[in-house]
Amino acid sequence: MVVGQPAIELQRVWLGWRDRVAVRDASGAFEQGSLTAIVGPNGAGKSTLIKGIAGRLNPLRGRIHVGAGLARSLACLPQSAELDLAFPISTFDLVALGAWHRVGAWRGLDEAGLEGVEDALRVVGLAGLGRRPVDTLSGGQLQRALFARLMLRDARVILLDEPFSAVDRATTEDLLDLLHAWHAEGRTVIAVLHDLDIVRAYFPQTLLLAGQVVEWGATEQVLSPANLHLARHLCAGALT
Amino acid sequence: MRRRPARSLSAWSAAAVLVLCGAMLPRAHAQAPSDRIRVVATFSILADMVREVGGDRLDIQAIVGPNGDAHAFEPTPRDARALGAAQVLVRNGLGFEGWLPRLLDAAGFKGLDVVASDGVRPRVLGDEEQALEAHGHETHDHEPHGHGHAGDVDPHAWQDLSNGVIYVRNIARGLAAADPAHADEYRRRADAYALRLQDEDRAWRNDLEAVPPARRVMMTTHDAFGYLGQAYGIRIVSVLGLSSEAEPAAGALARIIDQIRDRGIRAMFLEKAVNPTLMRRITQETGARIGGTLYSDTLDAPGTPAGTYLGMFRWNARLILEAMRG
Amino acid sequence: MNLWLELLTQPFIDYGFMRRALAGAWALSFAAGPLGVFLVLRRLSLMGDAMAHAILPGVAVGFLTAGLSLSAMTLGGLVTGVVVALLAGLVSRLTPLREDASFAAFYLVSLGLGVLLVSLRGTNMDLIHVLFGTVLGLNDAALLLVTAVSSVTLLALAALFRVLVIECLDPLFLRAEGGAGAWAHMAFLLLLVLNLVAGFQVLGTLMVVGIMMLPATAARFWVRSVGSQMILAAALGAASSYAGLLVSYYQDVPASPAIILAAGLLYFVSVAIGPHGGILQLVRQSRQRRARLLESMGS
Repeated sequence: MVVGQPAIELQRVWLGWRDRVAVRDASGAFEQGSLTAIVGPNGAGKSTLIKGIAGRLNPLRGRIHVGAGLARSLACLPQSAELDLAFPISTFDLVALGAWHRVGAWRGLDEAGLEGVEDALRVVGLAGLGRRPVDTLSGGQLQRALFARLMLRDARVILLDEPFSAVDRATTEDLLDLLHAWHAEGRTVIAVLHDLDIVRAYFPQTLLLAGQVVEWGATEQVLSPANLHLARHLCAGALT
Repeated sequence: MRRRPARSLSAWSAAAVLVLCGAMLPRAHAQAPSDRIRVVATFSILADMVREVGGDRLDIQAIVGPNGDAHAFEPTPRDARALGAAQVLVRNGLGFEGWLPRLLDAAGFKGLDVVASDGVRPRVLGDEEQALEAHGHETHDHEPHGHGHAGDVDPHAWQDLSNGVIYVRNIARGLAAADPAHADEYRRRADAYALRLQDEDRAWRNDLEAVPPARRVMMTTHDAFGYLGQAYGIRIVSVLGLSSEAEPAAGALARIIDQIRDRGIRAMFLEKAVNPTLMRRITQETGARIGGTLYSDTLDAPGTPAGTYLGMFRWNARLILEAMRG
Repeated sequence: MNLWLELLTQPFIDYGFMRRALAGAWALSFAAGPLGVFLVLRRLSLMGDAMAHAILPGVAVGFLTAGLSLSAMTLGGLVTGVVVALLAGLVSRLTPLREDASFAAFYLVSLGLGVLLVSLRGTNMDLIHVLFGTVLGLNDAALLLVTAVSSVTLLALAALFRVLVIECLDPLFLRAEGGAGAWAHMAFLLLLVLNLVAGFQVLGTLMVVGIMMLPATAARFWVRSVGSQMILAAALGAASSYAGLLVSYYQDVPASPAIILAAGLLYFVSVAIGPHGGILQLVRQSRQRRARLLESMGS
């Protein structure tokens, strides 16, 4: 990790699929240790952008550059619908998966490792629920568990796609505190959000997306009424 | 002049349809009358007999060829064409060819139908034989199987050589009716052939004399040797259901093993293309051996020892004798 | 008491074929049960049966070229099974078609091809049944084959366990962690094909798929975690084999169906009284909930 170099840099990136371009010509940088929200109307390409940064989607054009040594230390929290919740696994095991990068497919967790899992559960407010199978967790509890998993993942760059969409207020606040703590530890955090109040309150940087970058920088500036109006228009245009 | 495209189109269509229909009408024998009588036999054994009786005068085809399974046979269009063009059909009867009625319909056969087993005294399955039912009923969604159940007529009459003689005489009579010009020749050949069959019958009975009665027992997977057993005084232990499709019950298998041990059966016979794994298991567990493959309702390819009816009988006889002598 | 013991064990003591049948069936159960649990969890429950049909042309070709050779037929079936699985996987990854539909298409084509090949041989339809064996006819080679396959399967499953679990649960996570989920999935399908092919020749079609799926579906009603389900599935398979063979012995019914029906009976019992999601349990729980509701309303 080189000091001063951005964590993630977008160089004229186009993202999408064969028949539809979701993000056009995006350029900019996420500085190391920044806390950035990606916002925009529906269909703005926010999830697509996160997928691209996470490496799950290759750019149609342009380049997404991940800072030296950070590619291996990048964790993503996709929208929770993509998990098979009916699978019989305990909450403890789900969280423990975060240690995969250390432990791999075969080794078990040592004492310290197991304690780490318990700690994570405690921090997210799920202490004592380790034994419960994941399909008995509420939406909020599941999200807490996934955050705990992220904790164990110990990544330098953390990406989140709508982490609070199906979650109650109390959980949202607790998890936002966690995001803050990560930010304080110097990790780079990027989150797709739709609640602008939360963004204004917690996120110093914002990227306003509407199929293309509308503005990217300090939250106050980016979320001006004029920009928001422009973004809505751009997206409406894209949909017709 | 006004054009009537619709009318000319329908006229052409009508003409085309007429031409097509005409082409599909069954053709009368358009080929030049050949001097060979076209005979179709249902399976290889009958075909061989017909060849012995008719020789070069005939153009013989067998529907189920050598090493074919007449019980589970599925006719093809080629068979229908051959049958349609034939002047004489020679069949076994006794319910052997379950698939024949439908084929006859499809082929539009108009020739002479000879039932070779006419006059044979049929035996009923389950008569006098210790058929150990080792399986439930397998079901097929095509023609009913030749494997009958107790109470059905056993069609394998040719296993008794004296029935073979009856077959030969029926065939001769049929050929004489279809080709009266050469009736005498057919009868002569039939008589000569019958003599050979009777010689073989005598020789076989002689050989059997040398085997003590207690040893005159054989075990086979097929229910095809009933006539053999009945005619020549051999007790057949037929293990139904150890043939291809069905799986036996463990209890029945155990009883078979007990029977073999108790009766001191030395050898068992396989059917062609039957799953041998069960038979091998039995041999390993009882010490009995596999006596070889018997031919029950088909001949082997022409030129091989079992390629003729007489050859087939001699082949079976040799193996059975060896097995009984132990 | 002694009489019961005798009834339960004598057939196996007296007859070699009973002992072998039990050994072969148990070897199969120990491998097929765990595989079945994964199939159920991945919602691929019907794949076992579909794969069974898919391997037909390979087994047929093996028979047509080398006769009743266990190795030829196994190899043929294996190759075909792997090819079908790979092609289906490829199509589902490259096109919008999902894996189950893609697989359905391929296995049907494979089956048609197999039937055609078998019929080309002539009119002897019995050929097709020569290709599949029976549990009562196990010889040394067959027993060795199924035992070897079972051991390999268990070892492989132990090694792949965590990867397979995560691949089911959260494939995106696995991919992000560089966990080679696709390879594990392929390895799993390979194990499946291996067990099916080995199993068919020694135990027949019905039994292999049955002993793979029925105990697995029953196990989830008794235990929760994946590992426990696998162990229980193996045990239930073994129990069904034992019971089925005894019934076949005493009641004169064919062996394979007896084993499968025993497994089926265990399944129905599990559905009825199993503690995790069993019907009795659900009824009791709903009654309790209603009672509590009434209580809270009344007070």
